[in-house]
Amino acid sequence: MKLLARTGFWLLVIVIAFFALFPFYYAIISSFRTGSALFSVAYWPETFDLSNYFAVFERQPFGRNILNSIIVSGSVVVLSLALGITAAYAFGRIAFRGRSLMLMTILAVSMFPQVAVLAGMFELIRSFGLYNTLPGLILANLMLTLPFTIWVLTTFMRELPKEIEEAAFVDGATPWIVVRRVFLPLMAPAAVTTGLLAFIVSWNEFLFALTFTLTNERRTVPPAIALMSGSTAYELPWGTIMAGSVIVTIPIIVLVLVFQRKIVAGLTAGAVKG
Amino acid sequence: MIMSSAVAQAGVSAQHQARGRSSSLTRSRVRAAWLFIAPSLIVVTLIAGWPLARTIWFSFTDASLNDLSDYKFIGLENYLANYDGEWFGILIEPDWWHSVWNTLWFTVVSVSLETVLGIVVALILNAAFPGRGLMRAVILIPWAIPTIVSAKMWSWMLHDQFGVINDLLLRLGLIAAPVTWTANADTALWAAVMVDVWKHTSFMALLILAALQMLPQDIYEAAKVDGVSPVRVFFRVTLPLIKPALLVAVIFRSLDALRVFDLIYVLTSNSKDTASMSVYARQQLVDFQEVGLGSAASTLIFLIIALVVVITLAAGRVRLGEDPR
Amino acid sequence: MADVVLKNVQKSFGRVKIIHGVDLDIRDGEFVVFVGPSGCGKSTLLRLIAGLEDITAGELFIDGERVNDLVPAKRGIAMVFQSYALYPHMNVYDNMAFGLELAKSSKAQIDAKVREAARMLQIDNLLDRKPRQLSGGQRQRVAIGRAIVRDPKVFLFDEPLSNLDAALRVQTRIEIAKLHSDTRATMIYVTHDQVEAMTLADRIVVLNGGRIEQVGTPLDLYHRPANLFVAGFIGSPQMNLIACEVAGVGPDEVLVSLPSGGTLSVPVAPETLQPGEAVTLGVRPDHVRVSPQGSLTGRVELVEELGENHLLYVDMGQGRRLTIREPGDARHEAGSTIALEIDRTSCHLFKASGEALPSRAGSPRPAPSSPDLTRVA
Repeated sequence: MKLLARTGFWLLVIVIAFFALFPFYYAIISSFRTGSALFSVAYWPETFDLSNYFAVFERQPFGRNILNSIIVSGSVVVLSLALGITAAYAFGRIAFRGRSLMLMTILAVSMFPQVAVLAGMFELIRSFGLYNTLPGLILANLMLTLPFTIWVLTTFMRELPKEIEEAAFVDGATPWIVVRRVFLPLMAPAAVTTGLLAFIVSWNEFLFALTFTLTNERRTVPPAIALMSGSTAYELPWGTIMAGSVIVTIPIIVLVLVFQRKIVAGLTAGAVKG
Repeated sequence: MIMSSAVAQAGVSAQHQARGRSSSLTRSRVRAAWLFIAPSLIVVTLIAGWPLARTIWFSFTDASLNDLSDYKFIGLENYLANYDGEWFGILIEPDWWHSVWNTLWFTVVSVSLETVLGIVVALILNAAFPGRGLMRAVILIPWAIPTIVSAKMWSWMLHDQFGVINDLLLRLGLIAAPVTWTANADTALWAAVMVDVWKHTSFMALLILAALQMLPQDIYEAAKVDGVSPVRVFFRVTLPLIKPALLVAVIFRSLDALRVFDLIYVLTSNSKDTASMSVYARQQLVDFQEVGLGSAASTLIFLIIALVVVITLAAGRVRLGEDPR
Repeated sequence: MADVVLKNVQKSFGRVKIIHGVDLDIRDGEFVVFVGPSGCGKSTLLRLIAGLEDITAGELFIDGERVNDLVPAKRGIAMVFQSYALYPHMNVYDNMAFGLELAKSSKAQIDAKVREAARMLQIDNLLDRKPRQLSGGQRQRVAIGRAIVRDPKVFLFDEPLSNLDAALRVQTRIEIAKLHSDTRATMIYVTHDQVEAMTLADRIVVLNGGRIEQVGTPLDLYHRPANLFVAGFIGSPQMNLIACEVAGVGPDEVLVSLPSGGTLSVPVAPETLQPGEAVTLGVRPDHVRVSPQGSLTGRVELVEELGENHLLYVDMGQGRRLTIREPGDARHEAGSTIALEIDRTSCHLFKASGEALPSRAGSPRPAPSSPDLTRVA
């Protein structure tokens, strides 16, 4: 009985792991196959052909797309954290009138459907002359990351002991010094967590990137992959697409493996504690 | 909402300052609070509040994407209008209602599946076994992979001629002929559900796991001593205790699923039959350049989701309104 | 060096009033302890003085200056927190230097002050450590050091010893007393522990429900509690409180009839007391003696041996219980019946309102066995 339960348990673990990993595994082995080899199904890696990996950089400015994604996501993370930490201090530790209403508004914004702001955002970005530019995308992506950054950092900020802040006030610190000299170092782990989440959100963003860019050179990775096309409209270059997918997924997987604990902490802080 | 409360607040703090010219700690902190949230408030208003307001405004106009400055106010005509006894507008548009139905169906089915599977995965991860940390990272991977990439990977796996899934099912004898998963409206939404479940079950599982790990261990020991069966313990003890966290997770996921765009856009190639609300709105807005009509659809989506959010927040109000310590 | 004056200081949180008009005059160089049960407002009062909370009404003066609207740093105070509140990311040196650095002191000045304080507290070998590498006692020293370098006019302590274990608590208590005698700075100290209050204070302020019950020297409060609350709060074990009735009134004494029969003449001024009125007789466990001549009898319920003295819990009938402290080992066993004698000159008498009647017994003699508070606590 006990053995049966144990076997069943491990079987379940294996099934889940298989289900989670197989698509990525299959993308990898597909990315190493070219030409007509792709038109037969293979379950095991049999060839190791890197031509898809060269093709993905030759047929479109994929290197440029990756760089764009890094610039956009990096800037979004820095801006969100810079704005978010000061705001989180105010929301998390100071009682002022209208605080919970505003905090709830911000939470509500983080649940906005992106498409609801699409028309207005399009107009805004055009009027700033930012259409088809990276700053335009950075601005748009802040709408996705800033509210939840504030929200998650606020929940972390609330956990810090009150007396440390009071000791700093007795020592003569202004609120700004408290944030910069006392809380910023203490918030570093939380900021890493939140920054990672913001990075992933921004790295994966598609709708804005698709709508607010026009040329291949300005696209970030998701629209670049979505819009990859082959020689004819009916034949998608699956091998190249899989190669591109593998390239952009590997850094994310590394991040997840390294920062697994922090990411989980951030996800649950935003939801459960909130 | 943000702007009006900010204005009201500025008034209140101005009064505060007028009362005492010297600065006590509370007053200087409150002043700092406004200073600290001002940049975020301005940015959020600029990139969320203002665009939303403009979208709603456009929904009452005949604006076109070619030239957004040239439009006229046409009232509710984008929503519903009557010309010579014939009705027009999005509210009687079958394609719109079809996309609403698609979205609701997709949301209900995928979130239900994710909840049930999420509980199973969470229970497994809650057990102590070697490699648990690795397993947690493994299930996070689908969540972290960009939706576009997942959609492409699955499109390839679901390919009607060369896809591994058809091949597998044929070999196992579960189907007689290859299925055109993504091109057929009947199966395309199921395919979307499958990918969504693959991607988001881990999110659900991790939230549930966090709740499970906060449960006091002694109840389980007591139940064990009393000889209660594990199944009974799960339904009578565990489930009621994690219900609040479960609800939060379900609501988060539902809000996410209601605005689904990337997955369906890529997986089902922008087809009318499988369009979600967001896909429909963007199609009107960008592909057909009908900013007025697209904005009307966007506004309706916003209202639908806002309704869900308001209900959620009203339910969770007490906890959110806690004073800082 | 400064005095601290509170004039009708009040504090409300929303509609809840926490401090109901406190008047207090703390003299320059005095060590004052706020004591009271949890929720009595003692910590709030300290935080009002520190400037961490806003004063709702009333006035606060430090060194003659009205400081109601000054931020904590401008009040010339330093505070030691219960949880130490050290900055976790700074080492000991930086923890102590932070305030001076913010005050724009010169590097040399900071260095001199920090090192001097560290030497004084014997933490000069720990200056490079982070707080998490320190023991509780060491952390508390750093917290005190951080207060010392500020050269404050007034030191504020918020239950600084309650996170330490018993042995360390006594040791740190002695050091705080020494710090006071060395610096002669004004110190205000909050605690719920009456041993700390009795041993450290020049004067104790007993608070209850946001009001001052009594202010006085430790022995004042012990020997002349102003009311039932103070009588019950100060002293351990608690004073025995016996509900009685006035049997007769003399010019300098009141005759009360005890519930178990018999009467007792208590040397207090009767004021307006009339025979038949309900009063409460208070007598400390040290002032009841086992004596064959005693007019009261009771059955020993429980004996607690403490070594140099022992406690007897005596059932006097009808559920009334008397606590007695006698020196040495107990000579009585649980279950035995004993005769008791009350030292009437050490008795207290409280009116129905709770107020004490002024004693006419002259200056109080030292208690038969001076209470060893440290032990009992």
